[in-house]
Amino acid sequence: MDGTDTMSQQTTLTHGMGDKLFEGMNRTKLDIAREDICVEVKDLNLYYGQDHALKNVTMQIARHRVTAFIGPSGCGKSTLLRCFNRMNDLIDICRINGEIMLDGSNIYDRGVDVAELRRRVGMVFQKPNPFPKSIYENIAYGLRLQGVKDRKVLDEVVERALKRAALWDEVKDRLNENAFGLSGGQQQRLVIARAIAIEPEVLLLDEPASALDPISTAKIEELIYELKDQYTIAIVTHNMQQAARVSDYTAYMYMGELIEFDDTLSIFTNPARKATEDYITGRYG
Amino acid sequence: MAAILPNENASQASLLPSVERRERLRRIRGIRDGISLYGVGAAGFGVIFALALIFFYLFYETFPLLKPVSMEVAYEISMPGDEEPAPTVHLTLDRFEGIGGRFSESGAITFFSPETGAILTRKQVNVPEDASVSAFGRSENRRSLFVYGFSDGSVLPLKLEYDQTFPEGVRVVTPRLSFPLGEEPMRIGDRVQGDYTALTVVEGRTGYVVAGGNRDGSIAMALFSARRNMLTGEVQISRQDYELPAISRPVRQLLINETLRNLFAIDDRGLLYNIDIVDPNRPRIIEQVQLVSDGASVTAADFLVGSRSLIVGGSDGSVSQWMLVRDEETNVPHLTRVRGFRQHPGAVTFIEPEYTRKGFLVGDDTGTVGLHYATSGVTLKKIPVSGQPVTRIAVSPINRLALVKGEDSDALRVIRMDNPHPQASLSGLWGRVWYEGRSEPEYIWQSSGADDAFESKFSLVPLTVGTLKAALFAMLLGTPLAIMGAIYTAYFMAGPMRRIVKPSLELMEALPTVILGFLAGIWLAPYIENNLPILVSVLILLPLGMLAFGYGWTRLPTHIRHIIPPGWEAALLVPVVLLLGWVAITTSPWIEVAFFGGSMRQWFTDVGIPYDQRNALIVGLAMGFAVIPTIFSIAEDAVFNVPRHLTQGSLALGATPWQTVVGVVLPTASPGIFSAVMIGFGRAVGETMIVLMASGNSPIVNFNMFEGMRTLAANIAVELPETSVGGTHFRILFLSALVLLVLTFVLNTAAEIVRQRLRKRYASL
Repeated sequence: MDGTDTMSQQTTLTHGMGDKLFEGMNRTKLDIAREDICVEVKDLNLYYGQDHALKNVTMQIARHRVTAFIGPSGCGKSTLLRCFNRMNDLIDICRINGEIMLDGSNIYDRGVDVAELRRRVGMVFQKPNPFPKSIYENIAYGLRLQGVKDRKVLDEVVERALKRAALWDEVKDRLNENAFGLSGGQQQRLVIARAIAIEPEVLLLDEPASALDPISTAKIEELIYELKDQYTIAIVTHNMQQAARVSDYTAYMYMGELIEFDDTLSIFTNPARKATEDYITGRYG
Repeated sequence: MAAILPNENASQASLLPSVERRERLRRIRGIRDGISLYGVGAAGFGVIFALALIFFYLFYETFPLLKPVSMEVAYEISMPGDEEPAPTVHLTLDRFEGIGGRFSESGAITFFSPETGAILTRKQVNVPEDASVSAFGRSENRRSLFVYGFSDGSVLPLKLEYDQTFPEGVRVVTPRLSFPLGEEPMRIGDRVQGDYTALTVVEGRTGYVVAGGNRDGSIAMALFSARRNMLTGEVQISRQDYELPAISRPVRQLLINETLRNLFAIDDRGLLYNIDIVDPNRPRIIEQVQLVSDGASVTAADFLVGSRSLIVGGSDGSVSQWMLVRDEETNVPHLTRVRGFRQHPGAVTFIEPEYTRKGFLVGDDTGTVGLHYATSGVTLKKIPVSGQPVTRIAVSPINRLALVKGEDSDALRVIRMDNPHPQASLSGLWGRVWYEGRSEPEYIWQSSGADDAFESKFSLVPLTVGTLKAALFAMLLGTPLAIMGAIYTAYFMAGPMRRIVKPSLELMEALPTVILGFLAGIWLAPYIENNLPILVSVLILLPLGMLAFGYGWTRLPTHIRHIIPPGWEAALLVPVVLLLGWVAITTSPWIEVAFFGGSMRQWFTDVGIPYDQRNALIVGLAMGFAVIPTIFSIAEDAVFNVPRHLTQGSLALGATPWQTVVGVVLPTASPGIFSAVMIGFGRAVGETMIVLMASGNSPIVNFNMFEGMRTLAANIAVELPETSVGGTHFRILFLSALVLLVLTFVLNTAAEIVRQRLRKRYASL
């Protein structure tokens, strides 16, 4: 595939660690059937002013699978995730070239309705960010944006989204209370419920559990597992075990480059690159 | 890998300072902490203390207004002039309260010390041979003009004056009698003979008017004018008699007002005849007015200072105030009862008006003396003075001492009073008051007039309404502009542009308001007056033009639009706004000619909308300009500080930027925006210079945008320098300052409560 060819060129680049760690190693070729590709990244370069933040990233994200992005802080994994719903547009100094194809059309084409793109590609942030509104209104917000006014429809969607996010039983009696009254884990599930209420195709999770306690984290992971039959999920995480547990594919990034991208089992059991192995085993990072 | 392990240096000697040094450092740190803790506490307390001090000072200056009136019989002195047993016809006091005067029926005037009763001097007026004093009349107290009437039908006007000399630096006051028409009694007309039952004298422009009435109801009036011969120095006196219509019953009292327009004759049953003497050659009875209820009679009546209102006391103890009120339709003044005072226990026997204000003392036949004030309509105090009916009262010109004589009594009772602020009452300050010369009760602020007889009008309603009106119009202009600007700047504008725009707008706040007021009053007000259509056309053209331009811009091909970096689009509007402004200005005369007959200001007058050059609109423009930076700056901060994760959360849900503003940013920033508006409002309420210079300062009570107003703050600035320290006006100005402070205090407290609630509701993590 074109993408993997490009990536293999990157092997000549060094990590700046001096020694030629990658010499003689070949990355596993990943075969995702064309019809299973949901998002395809082609030669993506991203600059923050003079700073080259993403370098020639090419990869695919499989439909109805969980793709995890791992890597040390500042490696560009969150930046890459934010490219999928063009959240980087909000940063004035940010320049992008390359293509990101969502279901075959480039989301960076002129004339793309960014708001509609973001409806199709939902996002959950590291810090739970419920709006200062009631639980009900938090979920209904996205629907109201889409022009849904019918109370019955809203009720139905709110209930469905909360059930889907495994939050319904905990909040069904206090839907009209302020969302800030929820615990951190509940808030994060509320935010996920809010994201899935508008029926996106892709769900981007940017370290969704890093601010949560282990029990909440477990619940979120469980939820991710349950959601993948309906949504294509991309998740950024610092937690190796989490990546290993929830994802089907894993991408390891370092200094803005995609070092290795493979199915999770291969990455964690038999990484093609020494750098990946060092990172995964905790010797680096 | 060059990872640094934390315990790498564990084996080496510690690089930290020694234990003792650390101990010392901890101590110093502790002291610094303590100092800063108490320092900050003291500073905070100091702020509150300073504020409390301001409050306290305002209260301290206002408090005397609330002090109750004190009035008591201090002592009594034996009736001076025991060698002069004739009955007393009049009592008087000088303005230093050191000389009392007693006019007796024999024509003797005895001056005595009101402290001891010792006789100082005695004067005697010429009484015609074989005649006795049959009547006594007086003009207003402050004129010190009296008239004796004798049984032979002659009268003798006299004036009492006090000469001040300062031998050896000590003030000596000597009473002096003067006879403006000579010392010899003279007759008034031939028709009415002796035994007057009522007599009065008024000094007019051309001379002295004396009127007398008798038991038959006939009334005679004469104008005496004295002319001094330039060559001989001889005073020549001419008399002009006028025939007045007789009334059907005995004349009890005659009163002529200072304008010499009306003569009021009251008969023994309490019926008042209002006789028009504007043209004394053709006098006519305008109306007959029953002053007291049926069965009662008028037992005392006198003008208040200025002779515009009449206080009437009845045999039933009633006390009421009457004045000439112009009929709205016919424009004819009618004597109208404007208010009553608390009833006296017995028939009113004497009314003594104060010299310089609208208060008066009333004595009745149970020996009670009451102190009333006309403007506020209150009875300040009522005390029993003697067991006998009161026959005469004399109040001093400075209202601190009064002499009261009872019937058959050989003693004078001296009343000491402390009554500096009779006018300040709740109803007088906040209610409608029927002032002299007005056709109905009104809210009026008119603190000072040309002379002592002016009735001060201290209604705080016009000032409070004016304050709110000015603030309202300023907010009407300032708030939408400031808040919309704040939202755009904080949320849509490109960072570099925002870094120029925000400080520039905040710099606007540093503009001295006196310059704004000056420009508004001197340049803008006349300019707008001459180019009124600009207001209308700008109001329509500017928003529509900007919208049209915005729409046109979005229709342009992308490559043209991309010339302007995102967030800089607002800069494109600058030439548009300038162009539209220019269009509005140049078309103004055409519009005036085409639609308003050449002058829109005239057109306003024609359709019945009053238009002042300096009006609420001008104030709104100038003060709106002044409050915009305040509101903008705080609101912009509030919008800008809405956490990014909230706006990103909204955008990530597929919201457009505008949907995000309405749905998430504004609710979250609402506490800040709200306090911005309230701080702006507080500033508009307290703003002085702009309203002072641009509002016209007319204390009117309405919300017409084309009329001016006077605000509490401007009023204080205007009037405080010209008021006498410690006077009622001075203290009422302090009260208005207190009202202003309380107004802002209440507003800010309410705003803070609302803001806290909003903040609780929209608290962000």
